[in-house]
Amino acid sequence: MKKQLAIGLAALLAAASLAGCGSSSGSGTAATAAKTEGEAAAAASDSATSETSASTSGQDSSDKSDVTLTVAIWDKGQQPGLQKIMDDFTAKTGIKTDIQITPYKDYWTMLEAAATGGNLPDVFWMHTFQVATYAQYDDLLMNLSDRIANDPEVDMSKYPEEFVKAFQNPNGDQIGIPKDRDTAAVWYNKDMFDEAGIPYPTADWTWDDFREDCKKLTKADGSQYGLAMKPGSDQEGWYGTIYAYGGYVISDDMKKSGFDDPNTLKGLDVIQRIIDDGSMPPYSQQADNDPLALQEAGTVAMTFQGSWAASELSVNDYLKEHIAIAPLPKGPKGAVTMSNSLAWSGSAQSKHQDEAWELIKYLTGEEAQKKQAELGVTLSAYDGASDAWAKSQPGFDLQPYLDAMDNAVLYPHSKNTNVWYTMMKEKLVSVWDGSARMDDTAKDIAKEMNADLAEE
Amino acid sequence: MDGRKRRARSEFLWGWGLILPAIVGLIILNIIPIFQTIYQSFFKTGAFGRSYVFIGAQNYQKLIQDKDVFLATINTFQFVLLEVPVSIILALILAVLLNRPMRGRSAFRTIIFVPMVAAPAAVAMVWKWLLNSKFGLVNHFLNSIGLSSVDWLSDSKVALLSVAIVGIWSILGYNMVLFLAGLQEIPHDYYEASEIDGAGFWAQFFHITLPMISPTMFFVMITRIISAFQMFDFIYMLIGEQNPALPHTQTLVYLFYKHAFLQNNRGYGAAIVVYLLGIIMLITVFQMWAQKKWVYYA
Repeated sequence: MKKQLAIGLAALLAAASLAGCGSSSGSGTAATAAKTEGEAAAAASDSATSETSASTSGQDSSDKSDVTLTVAIWDKGQQPGLQKIMDDFTAKTGIKTDIQITPYKDYWTMLEAAATGGNLPDVFWMHTFQVATYAQYDDLLMNLSDRIANDPEVDMSKYPEEFVKAFQNPNGDQIGIPKDRDTAAVWYNKDMFDEAGIPYPTADWTWDDFREDCKKLTKADGSQYGLAMKPGSDQEGWYGTIYAYGGYVISDDMKKSGFDDPNTLKGLDVIQRIIDDGSMPPYSQQADNDPLALQEAGTVAMTFQGSWAASELSVNDYLKEHIAIAPLPKGPKGAVTMSNSLAWSGSAQSKHQDEAWELIKYLTGEEAQKKQAELGVTLSAYDGASDAWAKSQPGFDLQPYLDAMDNAVLYPHSKNTNVWYTMMKEKLVSVWDGSARMDDTAKDIAKEMNADLAEE
Repeated sequence: MDGRKRRARSEFLWGWGLILPAIVGLIILNIIPIFQTIYQSFFKTGAFGRSYVFIGAQNYQKLIQDKDVFLATINTFQFVLLEVPVSIILALILAVLLNRPMRGRSAFRTIIFVPMVAAPAAVAMVWKWLLNSKFGLVNHFLNSIGLSSVDWLSDSKVALLSVAIVGIWSILGYNMVLFLAGLQEIPHDYYEASEIDGAGFWAQFFHITLPMISPTMFFVMITRIISAFQMFDFIYMLIGEQNPALPHTQTLVYLFYKHAFLQNNRGYGAAIVVYLLGIIMLITVFQMWAQKKWVYYA
């Protein structure tokens, strides 16, 4: 009988351990706390060596030399370049930095847990999708407005206005400074164009031309398709048709969905036609494989890629040999690219806010922004700092990404973007796999999105 | 008299002292979160654990009407019914076979147990490639013997089966080891005596092995059913977002993850988990009752 009881109790506890998942922020915070403590100890033990390095760099920063700022980012690809820039910063100021990478999928869970427990990293990346959540409270993100106003070196007019606004709280205070921007372009396989006897895309091609080319590049035996693109290829891909045809995803006041707008539907119709043409691999293949993976395997001629993917070009041999870059096709409103920006934000909970501000100021200043582009980390947000980026991948001309800035729309977002964004992607899967039609689905999305927006 | 009292007192202190770490862990990591989760399920939650608004049973009303929850419940039950019986029966057969003296016995035991040692995420990554519709080894093999490819992970009719196969494969070794331990506890006299009475292999299996191993089987069943109900990692890793098979494979825990972490609605996520907790408790209580009919405690 006792044995039975023990088994029963064990079972209930096992079941209950799941229920515990619901409020796991507590344990997450504990882990973060432990981490920061460890770092503090490491910083203390380092302080002796750093003092000498600070004195050689000739700066008056003996009091700062024992500060190590924790910096949180999610993109491993950007780390090597950012590390170089951070090293420059340390040489100049004596303030050390420690970059911690958390993959994007887990980054926001980590950051929320850290914020809840009062342990935010000193300096970290902020995304337009998430900023509104953090902007609701004054004690999370460092308010940068006064520091910007009192610092003659900082000039917010050097950054695109829509990005600057995107990182303000409801009172209009600056809570992040744009660090980069992105645009979109088409990666096409030159050899497949040659084989099909079609001229390479030019800056004048339209979405109709694009659709025709997709058709011509598709082989009947299923060994080659014109295009690979998923519902999640929105930012670099199909959102572009919506704006090229004069539609919109969300209204400027972020209160209304644009998915039932007649122009939006015209743009989305291009995608429906490409699906109907059979110019994309069967969706079952795309569900298992990213568009880029299919392109690298030589099964598709074209993909849409954001500027953030550019570093992939010099890593993959197949891409090096076959790929060239073309601007997005045009619609009645020209070729419109989505453009998003990440910002550097500081923690309002940090003990080293002065040092954190130094770092943010440096990272978003002209010198570091130019270096960021030069090193091929990303396009920079700072006005005119991105030119060097066009040549950052040997053998490729990335100029189309820079040209795209002239007709760019801020990547659509609202206060709780992820609620409607995940819903939208989910619903579109049935358009991609052929079980639903685009216009019905778009209207359906509009209805649910409006309901979600009303709740924000 | 005095000495005995002191001894009882010291035993009392020692006893509690020794189980204290376990109890503290349970309370902090399990018991308190259960109540927090139940509490949370009655609120509209804000980020950072702030601005909770009490909304009564609204999350549960939404849950009852939610088509996704209904589908996910069916998916979860289907998964449990696929994974648990097959993994138990296969493990039992393997355990019986590998309990007999044979050449390379430990090697086989190790091979079968190895998947259990690997991290589920790593296991899923490997299987994801094996089962890939276009570049996977499994489809490559099918093609080479003249069969057509199967969309293992994106065809909604097959995907759940694929996930169950991976689940069975990864848990088989663990179940087998438990059964082996159970088998080795059965005294040899029973088999010898029955042999003298003329019992063959099958008669021994059904009349000695099965009843004697039933407590182990009960334990394996209870723990397996509970963890099968909590299936998340393989769905997350193998199926994932933007997969047409997701609506037909997503389990309740995946749905919880979607609402709580992707869409940041912790309150509704908590309601889903409490609902799942209810299901698991009911089934466990039923099993505790039903075991009286079939579990044999020697």
